[in-house]
Amino acid sequence: MALAATLLHNAYFCGRCCRHKALQPLLGPLLSDSLSKSYSSYRRPGSQPEKKTTWQNVDLSFKKSIEVLKTQLGMLKKETEDHLAGPEGQSLTHYMLEQTRVVWEFRSQEDLNKWVISSDVEIGGKSEVYLKLGRNNQTALLYGTLNTEVPRDGETKYSGYCSMRAKPLVGSFARKKYYDWSNFNSLYLRVRGDGRPWMVNIYTDPYFSHQKDDLYNYFMFTRGGPYWEEIKIPFSKFFLSSRGRVQDDQHPIWLDKISTVGFTIGDKVNGPFQLEIDFIGLLNDRAHTEEFAYETYEKNPPL
Amino acid sequence: MLSLALGTMITITSNHWVTAWAGLEINTLAIIPLISKSHHPRAIEAATKYFLTQATASALMLFSSMTNAWSSGQWDITQLTNPPSCLLLTAAIAIKLGLTPFHFWFPEVLQGSSLTTALLLSTAMKFPPTTILLLTSHSLNPTLLSTMAIMSIALGGWMGLNQTQTRKILAFSSISHLGWMTIIITYNPKLTLLTFYLYSLMTTSIFLSMNSTNTLKLSTLMTSWTKAPMLNTTLMLTLLSLAGLPPLTGFLPKWLIIQELTKQEMTTTATIISMLSLLGLFFYLRLTYCSTITLPPNSSNKMKQWSIKKPVNTLTPTL
Repeated sequence: MALAATLLHNAYFCGRCCRHKALQPLLGPLLSDSLSKSYSSYRRPGSQPEKKTTWQNVDLSFKKSIEVLKTQLGMLKKETEDHLAGPEGQSLTHYMLEQTRVVWEFRSQEDLNKWVISSDVEIGGKSEVYLKLGRNNQTALLYGTLNTEVPRDGETKYSGYCSMRAKPLVGSFARKKYYDWSNFNSLYLRVRGDGRPWMVNIYTDPYFSHQKDDLYNYFMFTRGGPYWEEIKIPFSKFFLSSRGRVQDDQHPIWLDKISTVGFTIGDKVNGPFQLEIDFIGLLNDRAHTEEFAYETYEKNPPL
Repeated sequence: MLSLALGTMITITSNHWVTAWAGLEINTLAIIPLISKSHHPRAIEAATKYFLTQATASALMLFSSMTNAWSSGQWDITQLTNPPSCLLLTAAIAIKLGLTPFHFWFPEVLQGSSLTTALLLSTAMKFPPTTILLLTSHSLNPTLLSTMAIMSIALGGWMGLNQTQTRKILAFSSISHLGWMTIIITYNPKLTLLTFYLYSLMTTSIFLSMNSTNTLKLSTLMTSWTKAPMLNTTLMLTLLSLAGLPPLTGFLPKWLIIQELTKQEMTTTATIISMLSLLGLFFYLRLTYCSTITLPPNSSNKMKQWSIKKPVNTLTPTL
């Protein structure tokens, strides 16, 4: 119970800080810096001092802008071709027949660049987290040390979390794109952990609305062994939380607009952790018939 | 629900701007709780989006009626004489209906609401703005309306091409049909009404058929043939009717509109919109392909679909 509360409390921080980190390379320094500057110049103990101001980062060269325009137009052309081909860029028969799909796999540095890692260093904690390619470039290794020492700023009560989150998809001209996973009903993870419990978070669309802190979470318990584990988590098991607090009014996750997926560790145990991920995929498990695992009764029954 | 009927009645029977606006507001407010009934975050987001867009449109409409009243001294809907008011009113009605380029809210709102509410949004909520458009059509700028209509048909067809969610597909089909309705409104408003009635009838039957099998996405549609085969065949016919294929009913409005446009020496427009509705035809055909023509190698494992929620209305699609 306390573990869940801590995990979720840390997930709030992790969620909030992760968002800035995840979108920073995409939206430029405009978004995050303006947020920090508009309140006060107090800097949290763990965050980096700003070396360059926002306006110094702007590059007004003509050649670079032509290249950027060319890249964006190329992406737009590809998007148009994908639109004509069918759902998600593949033909309709492919969409009709697919039962599994690999969404993220880790075979090169580019695959690693699609992920962002963060830890409680942002709030002044002392955990460390690193992400690198595993042996033979076949896996990704997320490792580090968890340290639950609370930063002494007078307002933080818990600390000690590390996380890894996928960057959201970006289309041409920096538009948001989403994953459409409506054909599937489980998440399929091939991981090799060290026995520690992790939390899997899925973030669906709403960035610019009141629901921007909504996150769907579930737990992933790893075994420690040298053998690979294939963990299947059905989407019906994910519960809704907002800013780290589990909501009373639970709803199933809607799979037609998924933005990112993340893993968090925050189990209040000081020490090293390791998670090796081979790939993250989706599965349409025909044997799974549950629609939603929580609150299946009628909440306001007619009298 | 009653408030919806009340609001629609008030707007339809009004000839004063304020009553028309009041009816529209009643409609907007009445449908907000219907959209957010399930309290899912997406439903609430859809309700918020709907409210914001409709409130903007209502404000614009009130503004246009006020400037018209200021310049001409009367509040009669049919006597819209001030040109800026006409422009503002066109924009307001376009936002209310979901004509391009003000269509962005429509698929999202339809996706966030349940199937029956989506039905109401597509048919009942379109009726009052259409009546206002009919009453004022003689004073509105025909070029602007035609441009918006052509863009709507184009966009409705293009964006609907690879959607996998049935509600979004129906949203884009609605946008496309609105384009057909709007293009003829300045020349022959009766055809607009005819198109609207036939479109409402066809969409109602599609939504109700989908509601009874609870198909929210394409893969569910593909497996519905095992649950209610008769419904599936009639669904196919209705979809093709929506696409406007002769000899089904949906061809009638298209034929008459093209005939009227040709009489008005607008043959290029007529050709353009017929070509653009080919795009729509493509995705309707794809829907029918998915639902009836092919038999997918799987069967859905959703328990809910085995229960038919209401008696199947196989008669309406055969109209």
